[in-house]
Amino acid sequence: MALWGMVIDLDRCTGCQACVMACKAENNIPAVGEKEAKRERIISWMQVLTETDEEHHGEKMRFIPRPCLQCDDPPCTKVCPVYATYRNPEGIVAQIYARCIGCRFCMAACPYNAKYFNWHTYQKEGPGQNPDVSVRPKGVVEKCTFCHHRLQKARARALAEKRDFDPREYVPACAEACLAQAIVFGDLSDPVSEVAKLARSPRAFKLQEELGTKPKVIYLTEGEGGG
Amino acid sequence: MADTADGPDQTLLRPIAETGRGFYWAVALLSIPILWGALAYSVQFYEGLGVTGLHQPVSWGFYVTNFVFFIGISHAGTLISAILRLSKAEWRRPITRMAEVITCMVLFIGASQILVDLGRPDRLLNVILHGRYQSPLLWDATSISAYMMASLTYLYLPMIPDIAILRDRLGKRKLFYSVLALGWTGTERQQRILNRAIAIMAVLVIPIAVSVHSVVSFVFSMTLQPMWHSTIFGPYFVVGAIFSGIAALIVAMIIFRKAYGLQHYLKPIHFRYLGQLLLVMALLWFYFTFAEYLTGYYGAEPEELKVFWAKFTGPFWPFFWGMVLCNFVVPLACLVSLKHHTVGKVLTASLFVIVGMWLERFIIVVPTLSFPRLPFPEGIYWPTWVEWGETAGSFGLFALFYLLFTKFFPIISIWEIREGREGLKEVEERLITYLPDEAEERT
Amino acid sequence: MDRSDSDFNRLVRTLQWVWLAVAILLVGGIIAWIIHLIRAAWTLGDVPSASVGISIVAIPVFIVLVSVVLYVFLGLRADARER
Repeated sequence: MALWGMVIDLDRCTGCQACVMACKAENNIPAVGEKEAKRERIISWMQVLTETDEEHHGEKMRFIPRPCLQCDDPPCTKVCPVYATYRNPEGIVAQIYARCIGCRFCMAACPYNAKYFNWHTYQKEGPGQNPDVSVRPKGVVEKCTFCHHRLQKARARALAEKRDFDPREYVPACAEACLAQAIVFGDLSDPVSEVAKLARSPRAFKLQEELGTKPKVIYLTEGEGGG
Repeated sequence: MADTADGPDQTLLRPIAETGRGFYWAVALLSIPILWGALAYSVQFYEGLGVTGLHQPVSWGFYVTNFVFFIGISHAGTLISAILRLSKAEWRRPITRMAEVITCMVLFIGASQILVDLGRPDRLLNVILHGRYQSPLLWDATSISAYMMASLTYLYLPMIPDIAILRDRLGKRKLFYSVLALGWTGTERQQRILNRAIAIMAVLVIPIAVSVHSVVSFVFSMTLQPMWHSTIFGPYFVVGAIFSGIAALIVAMIIFRKAYGLQHYLKPIHFRYLGQLLLVMALLWFYFTFAEYLTGYYGAEPEELKVFWAKFTGPFWPFFWGMVLCNFVVPLACLVSLKHHTVGKVLTASLFVIVGMWLERFIIVVPTLSFPRLPFPEGIYWPTWVEWGETAGSFGLFALFYLLFTKFFPIISIWEIREGREGLKEVEERLITYLPDEAEERT
Repeated sequence: MDRSDSDFNRLVRTLQWVWLAVAILLVGGIIAWIIHLIRAAWTLGDVPSASVGISIVAIPVFIVLVSVVLYVFLGLRADARER
């Protein structure tokens, strides 16, 4: 069984937000409008956080692209009262929009704030949307799925063409869109995959690793020039 | 036998027998916040939670605060009345019923806050069909439903003799009272059965009550969030709950004392004892708060400190210091000496404690969410008219339920008062057995 | 006792039984629900230990509750009938 993971090289990230825009287009993420944005209700499954470097205060900014970290021990799935969010066997933390009762416990429990809520009916089904991704109704929680529909599509294509599925066929929109190639995606359980090799790099670290959530999005610190 | 309530206890039946103009005024007055709340909720139901002030990252606000607060108030009753009953405190007699009614009414209000908080109330059934015990919310559901059933039973059982009095003497609603009186005639055997059942319930209700607020605290402490993930949250919440419960009980007692002329039943001595209990709880609450914040401060984890300073000097300072003022400074000043102006002082302290405990719940829920671990911009939460309306409506609904209850059942237990009067000899004998020398002589 | 009074008493008795049945159904429903949750947890492999642990505590509590109610109900009625 594959274990999907992502490595984000902070040395390469320019903070250009291409991943954010690609994600929004791919996953039918609603534009909430100016009024809602001012009330801090922007939905952005992939979000680029900025942090001032503590050693060079005020001089250097650090960009941290943050999708859902797809924890192996997710604090959000534990607290869901209705099984609307769970970790699937391939390590992707899924969200079932039709099941969610909107209690927002998972949002309160996620230490990475990767979950977003539909405060209003932000959009209905219409032209120009990605037909592979369902449009979320009001009152439910949503989050990054590692573009799970792309995995399903790649599997189906392999099946139709009567060949084995190659993990390299499955890449989420953010990784595909990254011009600096800072985002590498693949199967962490395969030791020879690029993502598994990078995850073993001495530069590798995880966000809030001490919490024991075992995120499958791994970051590479900047500094040692491409390492 | 039990069906003659002549003379002194006539006052207790009057609110049920007659309805004055004051009642209609009170209902009219209470219907204002209730209508406001109903309007707020219907707007929210159709528009979605977007009409509230909630946002990313403060996804929980007034509703969850109200939930914790109201469930806390519910500890007034049953717990206090059970403890006083078990410890055979004679001064409990005019108080127990009022306390138990608070519990039952406020539990429904508290539990419905969760329904109001849901983004998809239409899918509430999912909790029953697809619930999972992994989630602390389901612990809440189990524990609160047990508490509801237990406190309803615990309210109902000691009311049976009084219902029989109403059945025999009131003349109206005869069918209603006859059904609920379960054929009570006050024989010795019936009294034995009832007393045994009440004793069992009093014992059972205490652990259930403690479990309820522990489990409510677990909703927060089971997460990994800074200043929520704390082992003392269980007892801390229970102490706060009893604290706010006593305050609510005192306020209800003073209101009905005035409205129904119960000065002969609720004397300054009752308020003095309850005031002392409130003072003890204020000190205990302060101790827990101190322990909780000191460990956070001394450990000085950056994420914890961020939330800590947000409460102490940051954007939440008015709420935090308001809480300290209401929960500690004012009650201490009011309750240290209760020789003079007992009722006034106890009432002041109680009103402050109710406000303070609401602030305490708010200051636990919101600042942690406002200051996430990762470098997000901080999110400050401002409630809209919807949340204010829902909150006002909840308080109004609670008061209305309470008022309606007093129109159907006596708010002070008639038979227990009478038992107290008739049992003076028994109490004296019991007191004598407490004394070492005399007891030895007797045995 | 005239006829209308005994009619009244019969109505009271019926309603009392209905009242008791509602209480028992409610508690029975809650217990059935808890058992359903254990089964769901079991089939989903979703920490059944938590469910079992909670139900070991919760189900007896509900059973004690309903038996106290039954005890009072039957006891008071038995006494009333004997007289």
